[in-house]
This record gives sequence, C-alpha cells and structure tokens, in this order.
Amino acid sequence: MNSGKLRLLLGDDHAVLRAGLRVLLNAEPDLEVVGEAADGHEVLDQVAALSPDLILLDLTMPKMNGLACIEQIAAMHPETRILVLTMHDEEEYLKAVLKAGASGYVLKKAADVELLSAIRTVARGEIYIYPSLVPTLVGNMVKPKGDAKGEHKLRNLSARELEVLRLLALGHTNHEIAELICVSVKTVETYKARIMEKLGTNKRAELVRFALENGIISS
Amino acid sequence: MTGNGVVHLMTAGLANANQSDAPGSRCWLGSVLKLATSIRIQYKILGLVIGVVVLLSTMIVWQMGNILTTQMRHQLDKQAVSLGSDVAARATNELLINNAYAVYELIQNTLKNNEDVVYIFVVDAQGNVLAHTFGEAFPKDLLNANQIDSEEKFHLTAFRTEIGIVRDVAVLILDGKLGIVRIGLSENGLQKAVWQMTRNLLLIALFVSSLGLVAAVLLTRVLTKPIQQLVALTQRVAAGELDVQMSVSPGDEIGILAQAFNQMTKSLSQNHREREELMTQLKEKEEMRQHLLEKVMTAQEEERKRISRELHDETSQALTSVMVGLKVLETEAAYCGVAERVGEMRKIVAQTLEEVHHLARELRPSVLDDLGLVTALDRYVRDYSKTHRIEVDFHVTGFEGLRLPAPVEVVLYRIVQEALTNVAKYAQAKTVSVLLDWRENMVSAIIEDDGVGFEPARAVNTPGQGLGLFGMQERAALLGGSLQIESKLGVGTTLFIKIPINPDHENYKEEIG
Repeated sequence: MNSGKLRLLLGDDHAVLRAGLRVLLNAEPDLEVVGEAADGHEVLDQVAALSPDLILLDLTMPKMNGLACIEQIAAMHPETRILVLTMHDEEEYLKAVLKAGASGYVLKKAADVELLSAIRTVARGEIYIYPSLVPTLVGNMVKPKGDAKGEHKLRNLSARELEVLRLLALGHTNHEIAELICVSVKTVETYKARIMEKLGTNKRAELVRFALENGIISS
Repeated sequence: MTGNGVVHLMTAGLANANQSDAPGSRCWLGSVLKLATSIRIQYKILGLVIGVVVLLSTMIVWQMGNILTTQMRHQLDKQAVSLGSDVAARATNELLINNAYAVYELIQNTLKNNEDVVYIFVVDAQGNVLAHTFGEAFPKDLLNANQIDSEEKFHLTAFRTEIGIVRDVAVLILDGKLGIVRIGLSENGLQKAVWQMTRNLLLIALFVSSLGLVAAVLLTRVLTKPIQQLVALTQRVAAGELDVQMSVSPGDEIGILAQAFNQMTKSLSQNHREREELMTQLKEKEEMRQHLLEKVMTAQEEERKRISRELHDETSQALTSVMVGLKVLETEAAYCGVAERVGEMRKIVAQTLEEVHHLARELRPSVLDDLGLVTALDRYVRDYSKTHRIEVDFHVTGFEGLRLPAPVEVVLYRIVQEALTNVAKYAQAKTVSVLLDWRENMVSAIIEDDGVGFEPARAVNTPGQGLGLFGMQERAALLGGSLQIESKLGVGTTLFIKIPINPDHENYKEEIG
C-alpha cells in the first residue's frame, strides 16, 4: 500500500513456476511480489506475516490443499483477495473455490495471457473467471424447467404403459420387466417404443426425467 | 393274500385307466400289458402259482372223473351181465318145472344181495312178465326199453328214470326159449363214488394250492427283498449319498446285480471325489485369477493415476513455467523480431501443455479422485459428445453430493468410458443416454444408444468388442456386480451395470481435495 503497488503472495509448490511468475509480475509497474510459499501452512504463515493485498494460489499443494487454505484465509483475513491459479478446468472446482471465498479463477494454461488482467480485476474487488468456463457455469444455472405438458402427456399413457415406464425408469432390463409383468420381451420392447413415441423422445434419460418429474418414481 | 391281491390289482387297474386316457380298442392289448407290468412282482408270482394250481387240479379232476366213470360203468355192466347170466341159469330149471315162486324167490334174493340192483324181472318167451321185484305195479314201458335178438347172449342199454340213470341188461334164458331176464342197475352208487373221489381230489388240490401259495409268498419275499433293498439304496444314491454298498447275497442273478450296483456306486463315488477335487482346484484357480485380475486392474489404475499426477503436477507445471518465462522474455526482448519468435514458441508450449493436460485426463482424470464419479463422468460425457458428435443425455439420481467407495467409482467410470467408446466405434448412434442411479445398497449405470444394435451372443465372440464387454463384465464382477446387455438390430443397445454397495460404507460428503 505504501508504495502504491499491489502486494502479491505466490502460493505454489512449484519453485520454477514461482520464479517465472515473480519475474513476470515484478516486470509490471503496479505489481510487486512480496513473498512465496510452497505449501498450505506456509501460505497461512506468510499471509499472517505479510498481509498481502492478493494471493495467487494453486489448488494442489502439499500439507494443506488450496481449498482448505482459501477457507482459512477468508475467515481470518477477509481483506486479502484470493485469485486461484490452477490446472483444473472442471467447473466443480470453480464453484467450490468461489464458495470458499476466492475472488478469481485462472487456468495455468492461460497464465501468460490472462493472469495480469485477472489480477487487476480481482484487485478492483471484482470477480474474475476464466472465460471458457463461463458458458458451462451459466448454462448449468439456466437449466430447462420441467415440461409443462408433462401432465398432459401423462394422461396419454395407459396403466400398463405407466407401469412399464415406472420399471424402465427404475433401471430394469427388458427381460426383468417382461418377467415382472408376465409378458414377452417383445411386448416390453413394443411398450417401450410406444411410450417413447407418446412422450416424444428417443432417450432413456428423458424417460427417467419424465418419471421423476411426474412422481412416477422417486429419486 | 389273494383278496389283497385283487384289491391292489383293481387299484392298479384304475390308476392305469386314469393314466392312459386314450380310449378305444386300439390300445386294449397295450393297456392289458401295461396293467400286467404295473402289478407288483409278488402278486405276479402269486397269481401265476394260483392259476397253475387251479388249472392243473381242474384238469386232473375232470380227467379222473371221466376215467373213473368209464371204468365203473364198465364194471357195472359186467356185474349186470354176470348177475343176469346167473339168474338166467338158475331160473332155467325152475321155469322148466314151472315153479314161478322159486323164480320170484331167486330174483328177490338177488335184489337183496346186490345193492346196485334196482329191479329184476323175468319175461317168458311170449312176452308175459313171470316174476318181478316191483311189488304191485309193474311199469309196462320197461318191457320195451331193452330189446334182445335171439342171436345175442345179452343186450345192454341205459336210460334215465326218476331215480337216476339205470343200466339195464337183458339175458336170454335157454337161448330165449324160456324167456328173458332183465336186471336194472342204478348208477347212483357209481356217481357217489365219483363225487367222493372228486371231492378228495379237490381237497388235495386245495391243500397243494395253499402249500404253493406259502411257497410263492416265501419265494417273492426272497426275490423282492433284495430288490426293495436295492431300490432303497438307489434312492439314497439319487439323493447324493454315494458311499452306499449292498450286502452281497449268494451268486444268483440278484447277487450279480448287487455286485454290479456296488461297483457302480464305487466308481460313482470315485468320480464324484475326483470331480470335487477338480472343482476345488478350479475354485482355487478362479479365486487366484480373480485376485490376479484385481491386482492387475488396481496396478493399472494406480500406474495411470501416478503418471497422470506426474504429468499434471510436474510436466504441466514445468511447461507453465516455461510459458511464463517466455512471456517475460517476450516483453523484455521487444526487438529484432525476437519477441515474435518467442511468441510462437509460447504458442507451441501452450499447445503442448494442452496436450499433456488432455493426456493426463485420459489416463486418469484427477477430477474422479478429487470430485467423484458424477463430476468426472459429466466432464467425460461433455468431451465425448464434442469429439464424436453424439448427443449424450447424462442423468443422475440418488447421489445428492454423496460419493461412492473409490473402487466402485473407478470401475463405473471405466465401464461407462468403455461402453461409450464402443458406441462411438460400432453403434452409429445419434444419441446416448447415460444413467446413474443409486438406490439403497445398489448403484446402477445404464448406457443406452439408438444405434444399429447387435446380437449380444455374437458380439461376445467378436474379438475386439467381445473382449471389451468381457472386460467390463470382469470389472463389475470383481465388485460383486453384474453386467447385462440387451440389444436389438436397428433399435439400439442397452448396457445395465449393477454394483452392490456395502451399507457399512461411510458415505462422505463430496469434497474437493
């Protein structure tokens, strides 16, 4: 703060990467790397000792993993902003990290290009998310609602078809269903085809979803 | 004994009639034969003995009766002739002196002394009755009942009267010059004798029959006892008790049968022992195979995991460092086209990093270990869908943030991966449904495509695919699970994987490691 530069702490178990990042970041006039840590405990110690403005944190670290680290920092030093720099591009990591209290998420493969803008975004108090992860994150948030015509479709099914649908949704094989309702396997296949036609789908997953949404089976 | 036999025979007959409901004369003989074979041996022998005895005694009685009757008639006739001749001789003198009373005395005495004689009368040459033993009324019909020529010495005849058959003899007195003596002898005595003989014979037959019956009963006992014993032993063998031996009786046919039986059980039990031994060996081998398979699979997974981690943690980090270093270089060396070259290098490194990352994920996605099956599969399915242009509908129920035991997660991940790879290779499908369902102590995965389908029996024999299916089955089996395939040409293929989850397993909340 005193120099006006953003004070950074590097938390990563990879020394070569830390060195590279230090050179890269120190080359920026408004950034300054004030410390490095190789594992989770060290990160916590350094945060307490240096109280940096921003921590650049890897998720995979010895002794204490990144997530637990984030939770502790967020609890003890809420003013310190955390930017996660990781290999993992699965959205679940991202979700967990944001939930734990981090402000940004950058993939290592984009470290050369996006890291600087990410640091500055997070430093401004905003959230930074690696762009290619955004669509999946948003896409899953706006999941399609249950079919309003479900009730209507339900009425189109005969009692026997409903029973077959229930057994299909429970994951029974055609043979098992045939034995359970005492018909031939061929008949079950016919029922299944007819149910799919009536529900307007060709996917078993849709059948299960329909059965769940309409209370034919419970999860 | 016989009464029993009849009852049994009748019930057997009834049972037989019930069994063969085909009526008509066509199988009449057949049903009789069937009936005969369905009777117990005991009754067969008894019936045979009784039949033979009855037939034999009937024939003997009949024949003896015939012979005796003929013989006795002959005797009777002889007696009649001799009596007639005697009376005729003795009456000659009396008649010559015309002493009718003496003749009367003569015939009365003769009648008295011969119990078979029914009547005697003397007729003179003119046909008048001189003396008779009838008391007051002489039956006139009797006169013409026996005619005699003058050439004959005597004439015999027989006729039926109210007192039975009477054998009548006519004897000429002095060549017929003085008349005829007629004597009638009754057959009653003869018939009484025949009847008595018949009765005696029948009694003897009855006695012999009962002796025969006793003998037959004993014989059947002797015959059927070892057979029953054999039946009981056979039933024990059938029930699985192979170490039974029959006490060998003397060397008759049944003794030979018993020996053969003993030999059979001996070799059976020996076979059984050998088979048991083989089974044990097989079981041990199968156990070892399973163990080995498990080890191989675990080792493979561990190795993949290790390499994946290595790539992820070390190689990727190193590449990232290089990339960052190049970036620094790029900004510092902004002259003589160096920056441009460095930029290119940076792109190559970035690409390599991406490839390494992909490779690591292919080997063993860290997300599977860190975040669990659902996340890992979701990720895999998305990549798969993009790569193969096959729409994948992934649906999960029953997990609610819970994680399966690690081995189950790995196995299910690999099976789904293999199944989807197969779909991409062979099915020509447009869409695939991947369903995960965790209900109580059973987790099931279903992979269903709408592709060309196949015949499951044939696919197992097709080298590449069959081995894949076999591998999936083995993986599931290692965890006590099962894999079922349903496929239909032109409709698609569905794979059902079911793996039991030990209820003791502590489900732990999904956590990022």
